[in-house]
Amino acid sequence: MKNKLSSKKRNAKIISIICTLILSAGGIIIMIPLLWTICMALKPDGELYTNNFFPRHFAWNNFYLAVTSIDFFRYLGNTIMIVIPNLIGIIISSSFVAYGFSRFRFKGKRTWFLILLATMMLPGQVTMIPTYIIFRYMGWVNTILPLTVGAFFGGGAFNIFLIRQFMSGIPMDYDEAAKIDGASSLRIYARLIMPMCKPVLTAVGIFTFMGTWNDFNGPLIYLYDSNKYTLAIGLAFFKGLYTSRWNLMMAATILVMMPILILFFIAQDYIVNGISISAGTKG
Amino acid sequence: MKKENRLKNRMQKRENRLGYMFVMPWIIGLFLFTLIPMIFSAVLSMCKWNIVTGLSTIKFVNFDNYITLFHDENFYQSLKVTFTFALITIPLYQIVSLLVAFMLTFDIKWMKTFRLIYFLPSIIPTIATSLIWQRIFTLDGILNRALHLFGINGPSWLTNRYTALYSLMIMGLWGIGNTVIIYLSGLQTVNEELKEAARMDGAKGYQIFYYITVPMISPTIFFNVVMAVIGSFQYFTQAYVLTAGGPMKSTLFYNLYLYQVAYKDFRMGYAAAMAWIMFIIIMIFTLLVIKSSSLWVYYQNDDK
Repeated sequence: MKNKLSSKKRNAKIISIICTLILSAGGIIIMIPLLWTICMALKPDGELYTNNFFPRHFAWNNFYLAVTSIDFFRYLGNTIMIVIPNLIGIIISSSFVAYGFSRFRFKGKRTWFLILLATMMLPGQVTMIPTYIIFRYMGWVNTILPLTVGAFFGGGAFNIFLIRQFMSGIPMDYDEAAKIDGASSLRIYARLIMPMCKPVLTAVGIFTFMGTWNDFNGPLIYLYDSNKYTLAIGLAFFKGLYTSRWNLMMAATILVMMPILILFFIAQDYIVNGISISAGTKG
Repeated sequence: MKKENRLKNRMQKRENRLGYMFVMPWIIGLFLFTLIPMIFSAVLSMCKWNIVTGLSTIKFVNFDNYITLFHDENFYQSLKVTFTFALITIPLYQIVSLLVAFMLTFDIKWMKTFRLIYFLPSIIPTIATSLIWQRIFTLDGILNRALHLFGINGPSWLTNRYTALYSLMIMGLWGIGNTVIIYLSGLQTVNEELKEAARMDGAKGYQIFYYITVPMISPTIFFNVVMAVIGSFQYFTQAYVLTAGGPMKSTLFYNLYLYQVAYKDFRMGYAAAMAWIMFIIIMIFTLLVIKSSSLWVYYQNDDK
């Protein structure tokens, strides 16, 4: 019996060593592209076509050159101008609608909710072209309106769904108590339920930020004036302009992904949880 | 009795009023940004129209766009590219993700660090990922230098029509962290007692994995496969930035071709028809996965 136990223990140890080895190898392979990116970004022009992995001299001013040779701060400003309305619109609007779905037994609610779920399955391409045409005839093309207005009308089926799930977990007793104190539904929503939804609203906010920051398709279709570009589009544009100076391009790439990486290290638990919930394996 | 009914009625009216007040923004949005555009899109798909020439040149052509589509070489090429990509990457990414996630459930040192590293690439903006890998895939890029150590002379990956599509697949493998996380949380819900019972009965590690763990997380696999099918049809940014569909249309993904038709040629009607075909194909595959799921997906609640 004792023998069997110790052999089991040894087995577990061997397995964990093997796993550590495999995971380490994979981890190194994963990190090499990032490390290489940093090295490339720091190489002076003269070392671009040498074979060394690490730069011999660190050209820190590549970052400065990258920022000035593409209109970095303008693109950054443009991106922020799209991110902020989306954050505000989506957080307010999707929680507002989610509150309706989680707290009231109105007529036709089941049908509407099913439609909500169905729209999550609809590929964006089906509505993309007519929406583009409509916006074009409204004169909204080349403005940020097509990229922000939608946020205020429900803020996305997935976000509504996520917040509704969370709200349904909050006992109705709170609402009842507030109602007895004479609070209106709007007040209950704004003063009672919203603060309690902070965790899910944070997750939605993070995903909105990442999604808008990374969005390529939307700005590509709607913004064609180069001084309206977002960072994502600006970077792609930069690629076409400076094919040979890719140390600068890598520096710019690092700058564009920096905010996302910082956010990731601050809020990784929210992000990981949000992804798990989206797959329905948690909560 | 009557009074009670009246009260109930009034209560229900209040619920209706308030409920609709709260969901109204979404309902308006649904009509403005989904339902009306969908109807418009269906009509448009039966029209011939170049948006640049203005509204007056719209021409109703019945099902011509769909018929033309079935004679369009690029359409078939884009289907071929998309399906090749899907058929290889879906099994590949799912198996690798599942194995990585499985290894990440063991109690080993630096577990948190490993999770972080494997997840990290998947949050990097697609445009950044694409630009990084463009440098990796060049003739003198780091991939070829690594292959050189083994005496292999690699091609210029992205400009070679035999390797371009596979390069994109390799790049995608870098970003599977998302899927790994989903599997990881799925694996954490697997009942420990069940595994322990099997172990008591003398089941080996791989048997437990195959006969207990995999069936228990089959709903997660199901979710991931459906998402991956949709993802293949929406694959765009990487192909747009890295290869623009080339060389020789070897990476002309469906969504990329759709974009070219709509925003390069401005053939709005034809593009709308393509979008509907895409919708139908996604629906068919999703339904196939759902239909087949009763054969291989195990839901714990079914026991009742």
